[in-house]
Amino acid sequence: MDALINGFALVLTLDTMLVIIAASLFGIFVGAVPGLTATMAVALLVPVTFYMDTTPAIAAIVSTSAMAIFAGDIPGTYLNIPGTPASAAYVTESYSLAKKGRAREVLGINLVCSVFGGIFGTVILIVVAQSLAEVALKFSAFEYFWLAVLGLSCSIFISIGSKTKAFLSLLFGILLSTVGLDMMSGAPRFTFGVPDLMAGVNFIPVMIGMFALNELMNYYSSKSEKKTINIVATDSVFHNVPRHTKRYWRNMLRGSSIGTLIGALPGAGADIAAWIAYAVGKSRSKDKAKYGTGHIEGIVDASSANNSGLSGAWVPALVFGIPGDSITAIVIGVLYMKGMNPGPTIFMDGSGLIYALFIVFIIANLMMLPIGYMAIRLSKFFILTPSRVLMPIILCFCIVGAFAINNSIVDVWIMLVIGLVAYVLAVNGFPMAPAILGLVLGSTVENNFMSAMLRTGGDLTSFFARPISAGLGIAVIVLWCSPLLVKAYRYQKSRSARASS
Amino acid sequence: MRDVLIGIGFVIAGVVTIFIAQQFPTLPSLQFGPSLFPSIVGGGFCIGGVVLMLSGMWQRHRGADQMMQGELQGAELATTELETNAFETNAFENNAFENNAFETSALNATESEGAEHPSGKKSWVMVLPPLMIVFYVLASPYIGALFAMMIIMFSLMMLRKTALYVAVAASVGVSLAIYFIFSHYLLVPLPQGVLLGGSLPWTL
Repeated sequence: MDALINGFALVLTLDTMLVIIAASLFGIFVGAVPGLTATMAVALLVPVTFYMDTTPAIAAIVSTSAMAIFAGDIPGTYLNIPGTPASAAYVTESYSLAKKGRAREVLGINLVCSVFGGIFGTVILIVVAQSLAEVALKFSAFEYFWLAVLGLSCSIFISIGSKTKAFLSLLFGILLSTVGLDMMSGAPRFTFGVPDLMAGVNFIPVMIGMFALNELMNYYSSKSEKKTINIVATDSVFHNVPRHTKRYWRNMLRGSSIGTLIGALPGAGADIAAWIAYAVGKSRSKDKAKYGTGHIEGIVDASSANNSGLSGAWVPALVFGIPGDSITAIVIGVLYMKGMNPGPTIFMDGSGLIYALFIVFIIANLMMLPIGYMAIRLSKFFILTPSRVLMPIILCFCIVGAFAINNSIVDVWIMLVIGLVAYVLAVNGFPMAPAILGLVLGSTVENNFMSAMLRTGGDLTSFFARPISAGLGIAVIVLWCSPLLVKAYRYQKSRSARASS
Repeated sequence: MRDVLIGIGFVIAGVVTIFIAQQFPTLPSLQFGPSLFPSIVGGGFCIGGVVLMLSGMWQRHRGADQMMQGELQGAELATTELETNAFETNAFENNAFENNAFETSALNATESEGAEHPSGKKSWVMVLPPLMIVFYVLASPYIGALFAMMIIMFSLMMLRKTALYVAVAASVGVSLAIYFIFSHYLLVPLPQGVLLGGSLPWTL
C-alpha cells in the first residue's frame, strides 16, 4: 500500500503533469506528419529524457507514443495518407467516411477507441505482469537464453514480407550488439581501435539513425510536397460516439485483446496489431461487403488494437527485459540508463516506481481525450505544418541528440553510418524491428549462453535439463518448424479438396 | 535485381565478419569463446545472402518485374490470417514511400550514391541529410554548433523553396532554442567553435 501511495506521489507532481502535456503535444505533431513515426518520436525524445527523473522520463515516452499512434489517424482521415504505419490498416475506411463529411466523427471514434485500447492494455499489463514476474523469479541463465531466442525468432516469423530479409535484419542487429569488450574474456571485438566503441555501440544513436535519419532521407528523396485538404469537416466529434460504442463494444474488446497480445509478442508492434485486428474484425463481421467503402466497424477494431499494442509491448519488456516492439526496445535502454533494470525484481523493490509507471499509463491515456479533442478540432493546422521547415529541424535534433547521450562525436558518426545502412535496407524491403530486437537482445542471448556453458563445462544438453527451460526450448524449435508445418497442412488440405471434387 | 546485389553484399559482409572473428582469443576452459557469436552471425549472413541472391535471380528468371510480388508470396505463406491483407500491406508500403519510392530522378545519381543505391531511381537530394551531418562534424569545432545548425537548417529549407523570411526566422530561432536548451538546461557541452573564441559560454 505504501508503494502505491509512493507511486501516486511520484506521478502527481507539477513537473510530471507538465511533461505529460508537453509530450502529448509533441506526439500529436510527430504522429500527424506523414513519414514521422511514433518510434522516431520516442527516439528523438530520449536525449531529453536522459536528463529527467525516471518517472517523468517514462511519462514522456508513454504519452508521446500513445498520442502519436492516435494522431496518425488524422492525416489518414483527411489525406488518405497514414501518419504512422499503425494507422495504415484502416486508412481507406477513414478517408471514405471523411469524404462523406464525417471526418470528425471518424476521428472521435478513433480517439475513444484509442483511449479504450490503451487503458485495456494497461489493465492487462498491471494484472499479467505482476503474476508473470513471480514465475520469472525462478528463471536462470538457461531460461533467459531460450526466452531471448524465442523473442528473436518471433520477430522474424511475425514480420510481414520476406522472412529472409527479416532474418538478415535480425543478424545485423546481433552483430551490432557484439561490438565492444566481450563480457566473458574481456577481448575487444570489432572496435577497430576506437576507444569509444569499447563499451559497445550506444543504443540511442542507433535508434535515431534507424528511425529518424532513415525517414529524413526518405523525405528528401521525394520531390513533391503538396498537401491540400479537400475534406470539409463540420460535424460533431463526440456526438455519435455513444451510439457506435454501444453497437461495436465487442469489436473494441476484441481489437484491444488482439492488440495487447500482438503487442506483447516481440518484434510485432502497433502496426501489425492493427492489420491483424482489422483482418479478424472483417472476417467476423456481419456486413463484410461494407468494408473498404467507409465502414465504422473496420475502424473500431484496428484503432483499439494499435493503442492496446503499445501497452501490451510493455509486459515482456518489464518482466523479462525483452521488448515487445521497437518503442519498448528504446524504453529498455532508457530504464537501464536510469538504473531501473527491467526484470522481475522491478516489481518487488517496493519503491513505488512500478506503480508510478502504471499510474502514468492511465493518466497519459486519459489525457488523450482532451488533447486529442483539441487536435481533432485543429486538424488542419497539424496536417499543414510544412515538412520542409520541420525536417531540417529534426535533422539538427538528431545530431545534437545523438551527441548528447555521451557527449561524444563518435555517436554522431554511429548514427550516420547506421542511418545509411538502415536506409538502404528499408528501401529494399527489410523490416527494421528485428534489427532493433537483435541489438537489444543479442547480448542477453550471448551472455546467458556463455555463462550457462561456463557453469556446465560446455554441456549443450543442459539447456533441456530444467523443465521450464526445456519447454521454452521446445517452443523455439516448434516455432522454427512452423513454416514447414503450415506448408504440410496446406498441401494436405489442397489434396483432400482435390480428392473430394 | 537489387536483391541479388544485396545478397552478394551480405555474403561478403559474412565472410569478412568470420575472418575478423577468427582473430578473437578463445576461453581457456571451452572450445569456443568471443568468436562464437560473431561467427554464427557471419555464417547466417552468408546463408541468408545466398538465399536472397537465389530468390532474386529466380524472380528475374521468371520475368517477375515487380519485386513486391515475391514479398507478397512470402507474407502469404507465413501469415494465413493476413492473406487478404498482404496485398493491402504492400499497397500501404507503396503509399508510405508514396511520393518517393517510385519516382525517377531528373538528375543522375553521383558515383558513390549509385553504388549504395543500385536502382539509381532516387532523387540525389536524399544524400543531403547525411552530408549535412558530415558537415556538422567537420565544421562545428570551428564555427560552433550554433552556426553549424543554422547553416544546415537554412540551406535545407531553401532547398525546398521555403519563403526566405520563414527560413531565416525558423533556422535562427530554432537553432538558438536547441543550442540553449541543450547547453544551458541539459548541460551538454556542444562545440562553441573558435570563431567566437568562447564568447558564447555554454553555461550561462
